[in-house]
Amino acid sequence: MNEESGLDTGAGGTAGMDARNAMVIVRDAQQRAQRELRVRRPVLFLIWGLVVLVGYGAMWLSVRGQRPYHGPAWETLLLAFLLFLAAAGASANVVDWAASGVGGRSEWRRGIFVLSLAAGFAALEIEKQALWHAGASRPVVALFGQAIPLLAAGLVFVVSSASPARLDWPRLALGLWLLAVAASGAWTGPVANLAVCALAGGGGILLMAAIEPRLRRA
Amino acid sequence: MKDNGLDPVIHVPARLRIMVTLAALPDGDDVSFTRLQDLIELTPGNLITHLRKLQDAGYVRTERNGSGVTARTSVTLTSAGRVALEYYTTVLRQLLDSAAQRWPGMRPNRL
Repeated sequence: MNEESGLDTGAGGTAGMDARNAMVIVRDAQQRAQRELRVRRPVLFLIWGLVVLVGYGAMWLSVRGQRPYHGPAWETLLLAFLLFLAAAGASANVVDWAASGVGGRSEWRRGIFVLSLAAGFAALEIEKQALWHAGASRPVVALFGQAIPLLAAGLVFVVSSASPARLDWPRLALGLWLLAVAASGAWTGPVANLAVCALAGGGGILLMAAIEPRLRRA
Repeated sequence: MKDNGLDPVIHVPARLRIMVTLAALPDGDDVSFTRLQDLIELTPGNLITHLRKLQDAGYVRTERNGSGVTARTSVTLTSAGRVALEYYTTVLRQLLDSAAQRWPGMRPNRL
């Protein structure tokens, strides 16, 4: 094997590599690495935007016109839960595709991100049960429960947007938006809040799916 | 260094691709030998040879964890490697810019 020429591979040949050829190699290798090693966040935003839009939207359709409010039908809750499971599975696939074989700090950060989300969901869900146990009315508990996914995701997005290397503007903006939707939607009541979460929450995430690549480049 | 200022350790297509690919990872990340092989499209033997050259220059670090079927060899770009690649691409740009000035018809490929 001639390792300097690399002629046996057909891919490592160096004979006559001038500056232009070297620059082409640099550019191609950069593009390929970015294409294959970067987690496709727009796809993740698309998946979760659709889950929020359809999940909350279905619940809103289920409770529309309820007086007094008594909550979505169990079939709707089951649909939302199945959507969540499907989205979690699809997200894991998207991340695995890019992160396969990659270890180190990014792997730790991903683990902490998922753990923070799960812990946030669990803690807020337990808090909701405590509210119920303490005698809070169904609409109050419902308002709190509806906000849980957006509050947990928003907080984790905001906190994880800052790293020693850079500030992740798209993630910060989306986190703040989700927190604003969760906080403001509650004022509309337990029925309309579902529509607000579906349209503003899901719509915001879908919008981020569309513009995130441009924001990242900027 | 060569006369043109380009680091001869890096100025080999396969090694240049390895360096650029590793530099695309965030600082502190590593990549498994098999994934790197997929990305660079080299045979295991050639990849090992090129990695050894880069390792001897202090540009990459390889680490083997576990044993048997769970063994994983990871490859990381060192700080020295990142600096060397940055210097290499700077020199490359300067060469192309000066060539473009001498021959105005030639357009340098920008990074």
